[in-house]
Amino acid sequence: MTSIKTKSLNIIGYPIHSLENNLMGMFKHIGQVLIIYYYTLKFIFQGKIDYKETFKQSYMIGVKSFFVVSITALFTGFAMSLQISRELVLFGADTAIGGVVSLALIREIGPITAGVMVAGRVGSSIAAELTTMMITEQIDALKVMKINPVEYLVVPRYMAGILMMPILSIYAMAVGLIAGIIVAQVAANVQPATFLDSVQQTILDRDFEVHFLKSFINATIIIIFSCNIGLHTRGGAEDVGIATTRAVVWSMTGIFIANYIVTALTFIPR
Amino acid sequence: MNEVNKNNLMLEVKNLKKSFGNREILKGISFSIKAGETVGIIGPSGCGKSTILKLLCNLIEPDGGEIIKYSNDISLVFQGSALLNSLTVKENLALALRNKHLSQREESEIIAEKLKLVGLSNFANSYPAQLSGGQQKRTSFARAIVIDPKIIFYDEPTTGLDPILSTIIEDYIITLSDQLRAAAIVVTHQLSTWTRTTDRLILLHAGEIKWQGKPQEALETNDPYMRQFALSSRDGPILVG
Repeated sequence: MTSIKTKSLNIIGYPIHSLENNLMGMFKHIGQVLIIYYYTLKFIFQGKIDYKETFKQSYMIGVKSFFVVSITALFTGFAMSLQISRELVLFGADTAIGGVVSLALIREIGPITAGVMVAGRVGSSIAAELTTMMITEQIDALKVMKINPVEYLVVPRYMAGILMMPILSIYAMAVGLIAGIIVAQVAANVQPATFLDSVQQTILDRDFEVHFLKSFINATIIIIFSCNIGLHTRGGAEDVGIATTRAVVWSMTGIFIANYIVTALTFIPR
Repeated sequence: MNEVNKNNLMLEVKNLKKSFGNREILKGISFSIKAGETVGIIGPSGCGKSTILKLLCNLIEPDGGEIIKYSNDISLVFQGSALLNSLTVKENLALALRNKHLSQREESEIIAEKLKLVGLSNFANSYPAQLSGGQQKRTSFARAIVIDPKIIFYDEPTTGLDPILSTIIEDYIITLSDQLRAAAIVVTHQLSTWTRTTDRLILLHAGEIKWQGKPQEALETNDPYMRQFALSSRDGPILVG
């Protein structure tokens, strides 16, 4: 009788305990992220920026991501333009294809594509690198040398991230637009001049402002979340893999949530 | 950091306590070290030797007690070298000098001098991955001494090294002790290391200091803990497992 009762309690208790642990872990992680972000901004405003390292990180984060962003943006542009062209042609609105494609690219697809690609490529790499540094006591060595790990490791990566992400996003948008022009001409017989004219009439300055805001937020999420996971993981080789996965999952989830919030706040239906 | 230096002391530890979860690692230990003195901390695995070094370097917070350091110039030679893989040997040493705000020329001169001392002048531009285990250890030494520390800690400096390299590392510890007149703590298991390099020994077991004395006395004492440890015997009060 006792064992049945205990078993029943375990069945109920385990999921509750597990949920509690997950929630506690999530709040702890968010708290750590906020602390690291506070110190990152503090060091930046104090002018404690290692420009040489920032330049190096800009190359790692930005330049090395161009190829993968190009491919993704190109094919996203192809697919999206094809869908939009097909639907608008049915309604006889061929001349609006450029506007709709460019709106989607500048408001959503550009920042999201670049964000997701950088989260996968850079976020995972940062988490793996910093976790390895934790495990091999390199971070402890920095602390003994009285070098703040946030100043030395996070600030250059963050600076590089917020510099390179808007460039990557706008580049992703441009590549997507080129793909859109090609598909619109081939699939809907819309001339590039007509396409671009529609783009010009549709896109507002505010769209670019929101585009850059989203890029900045994406860079912040990817770099700070990944650095935080790297700087708080201990253990062995297995934990490097776990940290990498966590960094990508947290970054991508954060990007999609933040993207919706920014969209909701900036493009409220009139 | 207290600047008053009474009785030539460099480091004082009073009633230091540390637990990890329910496991009490240090149960209130106290000791002090004078300038130029090298103290060896020995004991079975898991007795809290490395924890003491982490506490002394502010890498972890104590649960209780007090640590008084009479100098800010502190270095630690890590067991696994802990060199920054993305930096060259020279850059690793320069990192330790970062807060000294020296001119490029002064920095280069100090680095060259320390690399010469550990016999790595030809490896200044090599990355840690290009060095052997012994060379990495020596680089770690050079990085630790580049600031001319007043307090220096060695975490298992000869563990995993061949006997010849162990002797070379022990010689470095002795040379540095003479040259820098620094207070030093050597955490080690190796008999040759504690007999050759230390002036005083502290035996830790179950979070407490079980024996203190000179290395020569350690080999002759009738204290059951020290005797068992010095003779590497299975029989005695120290239970491992």
